[in-house]
This record gives sequence, structure tokens and C-alpha cells, in this order.
Amino acid sequence: MSFFLHILILIGYCLPIVLAFNLIFGKGKILHFGPMGVSAATSYAIFVVLMNTHSFLLAILFGLLISILISLFFSWLSLRLEQDSLGVMSLAVHLTIIVIITNWTSVTCGALGIPKIPRLSFMESIEMFALVTTIYCAIFLYFLYKVDKSSFGRKLEALAEHSWHAKSLGINRAYVHAIAFLILGFAHVFGGFFAYTYLRFLNTHEFGFQSLIFIVMAVVAGKPGSFKGVTLAVILLILLKEGIRFIPLAPGILGPVRLITFGIILFVAVWIRRDTLFPQERLV
Amino acid sequence: MSLLSLFSVSLTLNNHTILNDVSFDVAQGEVIGLIGPNGSGKTTLFNLLSGFLKPTSGSILFKDENITNVIPSKRARLGFGRVFQHFGIFRDMTLEENVRVALEALPRDKRKELGNMDELVDATLDMALLKPYAKKKAGSLSGGQMRLLEIARTLTSGKELFLLDEPTAGVSPKMTHQVADMISKLKQQGKTVLIIEHDLPFIAQICDRVIVLDVGKVVLSGNPTEVRDSEELKEIYFG
Ligand SMILES: Nc1ncnc2c1ncn2[C@@H]1O[C@H](COP(=O)(O)OP(=O)(O)OP(=O)(O)O)[C@@H](O)[C@H]1O
Ligand SMILES: [Mg+2]
Repeated sequence: MSFFLHILILIGYCLPIVLAFNLIFGKGKILHFGPMGVSAATSYAIFVVLMNTHSFLLAILFGLLISILISLFFSWLSLRLEQDSLGVMSLAVHLTIIVIITNWTSVTCGALGIPKIPRLSFMESIEMFALVTTIYCAIFLYFLYKVDKSSFGRKLEALAEHSWHAKSLGINRAYVHAIAFLILGFAHVFGGFFAYTYLRFLNTHEFGFQSLIFIVMAVVAGKPGSFKGVTLAVILLILLKEGIRFIPLAPGILGPVRLITFGIILFVAVWIRRDTLFPQERLV
Repeated sequence: MSLLSLFSVSLTLNNHTILNDVSFDVAQGEVIGLIGPNGSGKTTLFNLLSGFLKPTSGSILFKDENITNVIPSKRARLGFGRVFQHFGIFRDMTLEENVRVALEALPRDKRKELGNMDELVDATLDMALLKPYAKKKAGSLSGGQMRLLEIARTLTSGKELFLLDEPTAGVSPKMTHQVADMISKLKQQGKTVLIIEHDLPFIAQICDRVIVLDVGKVVLSGNPTEVRDSEELKEIYFG
């Protein structure tokens, strides 16, 4: 039972993040590799404030503020840079954020991480935690589904296919990108809040390339841009990731086995979609 | 009153002068043909008008407002409609979505003015003779069908100034008539149209005035028959 609740919680905070990322990476075909940078900055913003002020409200508000700033910065980069430079630049920004967090020890506790993170009092039990994250997830998914089918979704898709054609219809690229990145930023605020109050511990290792690969893999495996496909992929991948625990393996091997498994899945998914994954934006 | 005015617009890219001191006025409701040999700068001029390129010098006025530094999406909202040389249709979207996305890109008050969205989508597809294919992906259309859809979409989304870049290129001879009919429709509705075309008889039949561009300069301008019979035109095209 507790395994089931555990899975429900993981899906609850991961799924909105991956689907929001799918909006940018899948539907918008924007080569953004910085989501874990956004996640790191917002999560640290939330929990540094929480540990110092003990106010959940202030913590969330500060998290939202930081997520807005970082999201707008990434969205600005996406307007200024060509796709390949954006890919490299977003990775560099991700790394920079991690380096800052790791070295700013007086505020972030550096490599030691932030322990003993409290939960909201009504979310102390795992049952309540699962219930709240599931409700949050359902609401966010409904919102994302509406966004996906809305005029905003079509504008994003039009810009992805041919930005000149889209602009000449009156679509404002700066505005559309900003909204898409902000949605991802908000998913990170709530996702980070639930994730680290659940784990009761925050550490920079959470924001490494494994996490980035997991998100990218879920979008690629589920079919970039597809709401249903990516939802299914996230659920299956989380089941797989957590299910591997039940295979009787020495703890030292578990990590590598998991990584290799995911590496293979990503390889196969990319191979299958190699023609459609990143079609060059049409120039004519 | 002129709707659009260009004042000695020049464009230099990589030390290469592509447009050189181009000036002309376009009156409301006028249909103007823009002709010239390949590489003479016609499409580049349209890109300047749409806002994708900024002139190195000179200015562009629309309804007496200087729009030289206005971004493309804002120009579209002001009433610029562009039909691209290589089809500005989104091939991964259905026909219906292609029309819808154009209507949704309009400013809210403009959209309200135009009326019910579903009816407009229907009317547009009807005008392009494509209603039965509403749910099909636009990538499956023929060149002529894409062109009809693009022009119809520009018309129903209430644009005022139409920039048509070679509307008959890549269109079968049979469909060329339908494209010509559609352009006459624009003219009847009092829209202002700039057409780039290589087909001189087509231009002569449809335009009030012709402007000839050669190596980035306006070399000739006048009514279609005058221009067609001029010695200079033969000189430009046949050397
Ligand atoms: N971005 C650019 N950088 C440098 N040169 C360019 C650029 N865009 C266009 N040109 C050059 O400008 C000139 C005019 O090109 P343009 O496409 O406007 O011609 P055109 O009159 O539309 O020709 P066509 O009839 O073949 O369509 C060409 O010599 C082209 O090589
Ligand atoms: Mg051209």
C-alpha cells in the first residue's frame, strides 16, 4: 500500500513538470535543456526561506518570484539564440546555477544539503500527502490539457513549424515563449515544494543530469508534443524506476542498473524517433 | 491619401546592396504588380514591408504612421497580410487549425468585429473550395490548394494590405484561374494588393499599376500596357 502511495506522490509532482516541459520542448520544439536549473533555483529559494522564516506562504511566494525571473531569462535566451546555441547555453546556465548553489554555503549549506525539512501539518501522513499531491496533479493536468488545446497551443505549434509564417499572422513570439516558460516555472515551484517536503531533504544531487535525462526521456519516449503519450510515458517510467528496487540486487549495483536501463530506453526512443525528433524549422 | 509609402528605402547585407533607394506610394484600394528578374530584390522588399528585415536607411509609412521599426507580428495586427512564395501554410496542422490560428492571432476587438469564429473558419474553407478536407493535415494539399487556402485565410482575417509573393508559382494551370478569381475578389472588396509575379499577362489583366525592380532599384513604373510595351522592360529581361 505504501509503495502505491509513494508512486502516486512521485507521479503527482513529476507529471506536471514533464508535461509543462513537453509544452516547450515537444510542442514548441524549443531546445531547452535547463529545466533542472530552474528547478534547483526555485527549490532552493523555497526551502532557504522556509528554514529561515518557518513561513510556508513566504517560501512559496519567494519561490514563485525566483521562478518568474529565471523563466523569463530562459525565455529571453530562446528568442535571442539559434536552437543549437540555446541547447548548449541552457545546459551552461543549469551548471552555473548548481555551482552557485553548491558554493554559496552560508545560505544553501552547499554539498551538505538542507535536512529536516518540515511538512505542512495536514500533510504529515503519507495518505494525506498522496491525496493532496494527487489533487494538485489533477488540477494542473486539467489546466495543461486546456492550454494544449487552446489558441496558445496552436500559436506555439505554428511558431515551431515556421516562425516567419506565424509572425506574419500576428503571433508575438516573445509573448508566447514567455508564457510557456512561466508555466514550466510554476510547475517547478509546486513540484519542488511537494518533492522536498516529501523527502524532507534537499540536496544539489537532485538536480543532476540524471534528472534532466529522465524528463527528456519521458517526452521523447511519449512522443514530443503529445499530451497523452507523455503522460503515459511518465507513469510507466516512474513505475519502472521505482520497481527496479524490488529486483534483489546489491545496493551498490541498483543505481548503475537504473542508469543503464534508462540510457537504453532513451537510446531506443531517440532511435525510433530520429526522423521526427527535431525536424529543422522550415526555412522556405 | 496613400495607405503605404516608402521613402528612399535601402538595404545592405554583408556589404551587398540588395535594395537601393526604393520609393513609391500605394493608394488605398490599388492593385500593384511588382516585377523584375530573379534576384532583383522583390521578395526582400516584401520582407522589409513585413518587418523581417530593417532597412539600412529610409523609412516606411503605413496610414501616415512610421512603422520602420515595428516588429512583424505588430504589423500583421495593423493589417499587413503576407502570402509567401513558398506557401505560408502550417503543414503539420489541419486545414481548420490553419485558419483558426490566423484568426486567433488577431487583436481581440478585431476578432469580435469579424464575427463568430466557427462560421469564419467554415466560410474561409468554403472560399478556398476546401471545406470537405477541414480535418485533413495541410501537408497533404496541392500547391494550388495551399495558395487558395492562404489567400482566403488572409482575406477572412480582415487584413487590409495584401503582399502576395508569386501567387501562381507552384500552382497548376487549372488552379491558376481560381487563384486569379480570388485576387479579383480582393480587388472587388477594395483591398490594397501588392503582387510579385513573373507572368506578365496575368499582371496586365489584374493590376492598376506596375513597378519594375532591377538590381534593387525601381527602374520603371506605370500602367500595365505602357510597361509591357516599353523598350526598357525588354532590355531588363532580355539584355
Ligand atoms: N539574408 C540575405 N543575405 C544576403 N543576401 C541576400 C539575403 N536575402 C536575399 N539576398 C540576396 O538578395 C537578392 C535579392 O533576393 P530576392 O529573394 O529578394 O529576389 P527576388 O526578386 O525575390 O527573386 P525571385 O524572382 O527569384 O524570387 C539576391 O541576390 C539574394 O541572393
Ligand atoms: Mg522572390
